[in-house]
Amino acid sequence: MAAKQAPIATEEDTSELARVLIGYVISATAWLLFATFVGLLVAYKFGAPEFGSGAWLTFGRLRPIHTNDTFYGWATMALVGLAYYIAARSCRTTLYSPRLAWVGLALFNLAAIAGTIALDLGYNDGDLEYREWPWPIRLIFLAALAVSAVNLVATVARRNTEDIYLSNWYTMGGLLWVCIIALVGALPWYQYWLGQVSVSGFYMHNAVGMFFTPLTVGTFYYALPKLLNRPIYSYALGILAFWTNLVFYPIIGAHHFLFSPLPWWLQTTAIVFSVAMLVPVWGGSANFLLTMRGRTSDVAHSYPLAFILVGVIGYLVGSTQGTFEAFRSLQEVWHLTNFTVGHSHLTMYGFVTFSICGAIYALLPLATGKYPGRLGMAAHFWTAVVGSFIYVISLSVGGTIQGLDWMRGVPFIQSVDDVGPYWVWRGVGGLLMFVSHLVFAWNVWRMTIGRSAQALPLAPALAEGASA
Amino acid sequence: MNKLVAIAGGSTLVFAALALMMGVIPGYELSKTPPGPGVEPLTPIQAAGRDVYVANGCGYCHTQQVRPLPSDKAFGRPSTAGDYAYQTPELMASERTGPDLINVGARQPSEVWQYIHLYQPRAVVPQSIMPSFPWLFEVVQQAPAGVTPVALPKAYAPARGSWCRAPKRRRWWRTCCR
Repeated sequence: MAAKQAPIATEEDTSELARVLIGYVISATAWLLFATFVGLLVAYKFGAPEFGSGAWLTFGRLRPIHTNDTFYGWATMALVGLAYYIAARSCRTTLYSPRLAWVGLALFNLAAIAGTIALDLGYNDGDLEYREWPWPIRLIFLAALAVSAVNLVATVARRNTEDIYLSNWYTMGGLLWVCIIALVGALPWYQYWLGQVSVSGFYMHNAVGMFFTPLTVGTFYYALPKLLNRPIYSYALGILAFWTNLVFYPIIGAHHFLFSPLPWWLQTTAIVFSVAMLVPVWGGSANFLLTMRGRTSDVAHSYPLAFILVGVIGYLVGSTQGTFEAFRSLQEVWHLTNFTVGHSHLTMYGFVTFSICGAIYALLPLATGKYPGRLGMAAHFWTAVVGSFIYVISLSVGGTIQGLDWMRGVPFIQSVDDVGPYWVWRGVGGLLMFVSHLVFAWNVWRMTIGRSAQALPLAPALAEGASA
Repeated sequence: MNKLVAIAGGSTLVFAALALMMGVIPGYELSKTPPGPGVEPLTPIQAAGRDVYVANGCGYCHTQQVRPLPSDKAFGRPSTAGDYAYQTPELMASERTGPDLINVGARQPSEVWQYIHLYQPRAVVPQSIMPSFPWLFEVVQQAPAGVTPVALPKAYAPARGSWCRAPKRRRWWRTCCR
């Protein structure tokens, strides 16, 4: 349980909801700092392979710690906290059970801590991306997801509104579907030999796109109208994107294993539906951009909106890139190269992380009544934008060179040599991203425990009706 | 309430069906792929080596799949479905910062070279950025029978004795759970 605090808002339920959001955001921020520090260490090793050469600091153990803690520490906890807040507010009700929310948070943290220690000691369930944690730890994580899904659905069930607002479609969906994903990834009976490869394709793909994507898109549908004080451009388009994403996305996991011995039909089906994904991606992105239409000056004057704008662009560009990467002709160059690492940072960072930060800057002050400084948000925004830009561009170029080297048939070590300078630039970008997270942590501190900045107009429209 | 059932329940049902169709059933069918010609169960020493590979995340830089593409020619014949028999957890991997390793035993059969390279990659490939793995070895005065001491270049050799592959610890949870 959280330490008792003085009620932040007048009503007890509201302050309980605020405490839950604060707990999740602070926890997530701590994991962001840790996971990106590990990422920085990993990036440094590309230039200094002897740095930290003991077993506990070896590249192959730190790399999954970086990815798992980014996914399941940072993004998961932040998005679940935001989903709770959005559900209670948009349904004009109270959280079904704050107690369950705290139990969930404790389980999330328990799993992430145990998983980190296990990986560092060399205990894993295989180099299977995003499910490396030994299975008992993944069951703890699954329990946390199930508790969160139940709590969220039960909150929406006690709503005082006629309709279920679109945000909750996406957040409930994401949390329910990820329980199935986690279960499919954990059960052993169909995961032997080549069979496990096809399950890996399904799992690594869906754990991102049927979990983080819907939860993040759900925050867009709430935060954007709130910040702009205008309804979403098209509710119907949002519903179309919801169902098309649901039907197309789970089919395309095999595009992570093109040209492998997996059945050719599985690979071709994955390519076809990767193209179909343009429907929900472009539909959703257009919806967000059209909601912002004609409000350029608001975006320019509001950092929460600026973060969300970058998030929307990251969603549009990253997902469209994903479609193109699925073509066999382009996979021939890019598959297995560092280009894919650039892609995953464009999506998990440019899209998911920017959107989470924007949503936290938009909603956390509404819950706590405390504001971050404008300078703090500016410093976070610009270091993060410049850093991630350098990161993605350098790995995209470096990865392309790597792929072209292989096609030219030069000795393999030449491709390692040629990417060298781009790995240095990746490190520079990563360092800026990490610095931006330190500023973010400071801003979170001011929005929660620390001293608030002057209440400032996050968006002009919000200045008047911030209590809503 | 009905809306909630349609949205949350309906979409979860659709997703569960797709998860069965694209995750569980292909996994189940492909788990029955017969071993290819000459593909044998792993010997205890091979299995122990594979565990070291998995525990230290070698799969994040090394693929184990040769694609039927000109760029993969250097790694031998393209991989087939039957090559992955007895390979659980699978190590096909998605990144190739270092070379593919599925046929490395055939391409680079020298045990001595492999041990030197594992102990200190830059002793044999100066531009290599692979981590060194000294903790997989120990210094002994006299190599036990049947164990090859690692012939290191002077710059990396210990003052006395020689480096040997360290004895393997048992991985308790893998034996009990797989």
